[in-house]
Amino acid sequence: MGNASILLVDNRKAIIESFRKSFSEIEVKHTLFSAANENEAWSMLDGSQKLSPVPKIILIDVNRTKNKGIQFLNAIRNHTDLKSILVFVITDSENEINKAAALNLNIAGYIPMSFESQTLNSFVSVLNEYWNIIEFSSQK
Amino acid sequence: MNQKLVNILLVEDDEVDVMNVKRAFSKNNIMNPLFVAGNGVEALEMLENHIIPLPKIIILDINMPKMNGIEFLKIMRENEILKNISVFVMTTSNEDSDKINAYNLNVAGYILKPLSFEKFLTSVATLKNFWQLCEL
Repeated sequence: MGNASILLVDNRKAIIESFRKSFSEIEVKHTLFSAANENEAWSMLDGSQKLSPVPKIILIDVNRTKNKGIQFLNAIRNHTDLKSILVFVITDSENEINKAAALNLNIAGYIPMSFESQTLNSFVSVLNEYWNIIEFSSQK
Repeated sequence: MNQKLVNILLVEDDEVDVMNVKRAFSKNNIMNPLFVAGNGVEALEMLENHIIPLPKIIILDINMPKMNGIEFLKIMRENEILKNISVFVMTTSNEDSDKINAYNLNVAGYILKPLSFEKFLTSVATLKNFWQLCEL
């Protein structure tokens, strides 16, 4: 796909920084935006800080905040203009209930990963290769 | 992760493309059981009547006789048992409307069939690496 924007939702500053570093080291051509929580992310998707164009991809660890992440994904899937966003759940913790709920919301992938900088690059590079073989509509 | 063994259903009417997928799987050492349906009607029959074990992954063509990929996806997403299967579109259709419809029905990816087999092999290798990251 061409250059798209990607929204990373995580309340850990260090992890957002690790992703930025990894995107830069791997030379990911897509633009990375970040939100510290679901509310902030929502305002970037359909609120006062709305990004234009809307991100094609969301990366989120739904296990950070009980069920808030799942509620957020649910709201996306029920929103006419947002429902087509490709969601990748990335997580360093286990939660079978959230995992089942996320898979029921047709996420593109549920990916257990380590956010350690040495291993993060290998995860991001597989994801990046995948993003590069898929097509998106030219709309939005 | 054990998804190396999950069942995969390929919904594709073109016999040459079916053969290419089989060859690409074999060259990339993808050992998952691969089932093939020739169109959407046949795929639904196989899935609804439990003729094949439930796949975790479907590779879906768009332009097919009887029932095309988008029509199949719509019906699949309304079926309680089938709706959460991961679907990867693999098609020659570069139509924006097909991409929009497919992503509105939450496919995990829309991939244009590369023209050369070498490039196709690379795409399938990329898919394999991605599947290995994911828990299904």
